[in-house]
Amino acid sequence: MNLEVATYLLYLGISITLTIWVAHTLHKNGRIFLVDVFHGNEPLADSVNHLLVVGFYLINLGFVSLALKLGYDIATPKEGIEALSVKVGTVMLVLGAMHFFNLLIFHRMRQRATRLNAPPPVSADGFTPVEEV
Amino acid sequence: MSVLTLLYDPGCGLCRRVQGWLAEQPKLIELRMIPIKTDAARRRFPELNHDLTSEDLTVISDRGEVYFGPKAWLMVLWSLTRYRDWSYRLAAPELLPTTRRVVSLISQHRYQISRVASSLAR
Repeated sequence: MNLEVATYLLYLGISITLTIWVAHTLHKNGRIFLVDVFHGNEPLADSVNHLLVVGFYLINLGFVSLALKLGYDIATPKEGIEALSVKVGTVMLVLGAMHFFNLLIFHRMRQRATRLNAPPPVSADGFTPVEEV
Repeated sequence: MSVLTLLYDPGCGLCRRVQGWLAEQPKLIELRMIPIKTDAARRRFPELNHDLTSEDLTVISDRGEVYFGPKAWLMVLWSLTRYRDWSYRLAAPELLPTTRRVVSLISQHRYQISRVASSLAR
């Protein structure tokens, strides 16, 4: 096994582990948000949560696999580690961006749900009987 | 609260235009518009002082809460999907005095504004 293949395998190992870890965190902690958004409707919350995580996996693993190719030769272990570090760094930044994007989605959904049931901005000036016609 | 009734002045062009705009807006709460001092308005709100409704916009909820003037405008904003956030912003203590001033200024001069607007449109 030469140095390049070893770098690729290390890269895949680290990236995939990171993706799984972030997706797992998102899945575990996002659930509480979603249950709140859907007013305690847990099956719906679980379903949306699962769909979000699937999308998260597809985008991130897709990126990991697209970014695999180095495009230059590696002669020494030092170069291998440097190449690995650039690749893994990029993957982490993309994962981070995706993660915050997901948080934004959760936040928006929650905001919309709370806004729907929000009380009026001002108190009434008075009361009058209403006749339903 | 599920329905808000607007008592609007059909004699003012600005009010009619605003009413047209409101009809097209996505809503969180149903808005019903009734022209002021009509039989329909008196029948729905038998105990309301209808003379006051010609002075400024009046909004009444299905539970009988009456909102008058600036508060009525804020309630209208609150009923709209896109502007609910704005209703809270404009009702915040820092902005409420300005909101009151601007809204009563527009209300008091609604006939002049309508005239200027229609002469500009011509």
